[in-house]
Amino acid sequence: MKDKNFEIVAAAQDTGGEAAAGKWYDAAKATFTTLVDTRHAVSTAFHLINVPMGIWIDERGRVVRPAEPAWTSSRTDTFGGKKLEIEGEPYVTALRDWVVNGDASQYVLSDEEFARRVKPRSAAELEAEAAFKLAVWFHQEGRPELAAKYFERAQALNPDDWNYHRQEWSFTPQEAGKKWLEKFQKQTEPYYPKLELKPKGG
Amino acid sequence: MAPAALDARAATAPPAATVLYDDKAVALHAIGRDPKRAKEALWIRTQDLPRINEFEVKPQGACRADICIPIPKAMVRGRYFDLTAFAKKIGEPVVVDTDARVWSFGEIQALGGSFVEGRMAPDVTVPDRAGRPVHLAHLRGKKVLVVTWASW
Repeated sequence: MKDKNFEIVAAAQDTGGEAAAGKWYDAAKATFTTLVDTRHAVSTAFHLINVPMGIWIDERGRVVRPAEPAWTSSRTDTFGGKKLEIEGEPYVTALRDWVVNGDASQYVLSDEEFARRVKPRSAAELEAEAAFKLAVWFHQEGRPELAAKYFERAQALNPDDWNYHRQEWSFTPQEAGKKWLEKFQKQTEPYYPKLELKPKGG
Repeated sequence: MAPAALDARAATAPPAATVLYDDKAVALHAIGRDPKRAKEALWIRTQDLPRINEFEVKPQGACRADICIPIPKAMVRGRYFDLTAFAKKIGEPVVVDTDARVWSFGEIQALGGSFVEGRMAPDVTVPDRAGRPVHLAHLRGKKVLVVTWASW
């Protein structure tokens, strides 16, 4: 889709930096723009609480579609008896349609639908971002105990944010799976929001 | 101008405070004392404000580009500026570790409101694999899919 004046920017939300993310980019033989976002700046800017998430931005910098799960294929997994649904193909179909048709694409959200999906950050969410950034700084300074303290602060302030949790858990990989499963099973909201590619009237 | 010997000492001593804002960590070697000795308060030299968050104290208030925020007299004492009081005034979150003396400031809503209100993509700056900064705003003129992922 290169010839359509279209660019893919991948942003690894990885406090571990190139050491953590680089080998995956190598393995994917990435031909797109590859970023290493140690402080999760993209998630902060676009209000993302999980990965992978996609945002569509048009030529003028307008957000065509805000955060939604960005998979390339569909499947249903089961973890501890609870289903996790991943929808990929419809997302890729919609993306191709927008790349070809631009503003005329049926997948361009209306302003009303955008406003329904994107809400201002709450005070707790904003404070969580500041706490997370402090945790990342301590991690990079080689002070893991202080990093853990502020990762936990961020998690407490914004418990729905999977990135805050999973980033910290990645530093104690032997417990990460168990912690993930526990939170996944407790959660009442879907792990990934259901794709709403064409909302009512759209 | 400080004598060269003083500058050299300042460069090697641990900072009196570290301020995190946006993608920067600014080490401050000279800070002021809070009149009430509040541990979470941070009085910076007024001259350090621009390199922290690009604001500058002017007669009409603290200003950045075309935004000027009026500030009460008590926010400035001599050469020092009460950065934590300023943050509170503009609704900017701050998380501080008073032992390590690191202040982490969150987003200034007055600067970034156009995503929620106006549907415009924020200009995020993120390094590429070689550490070179990439500005998302430099991709104007193209359709862009920004997609996040993680190794964890």
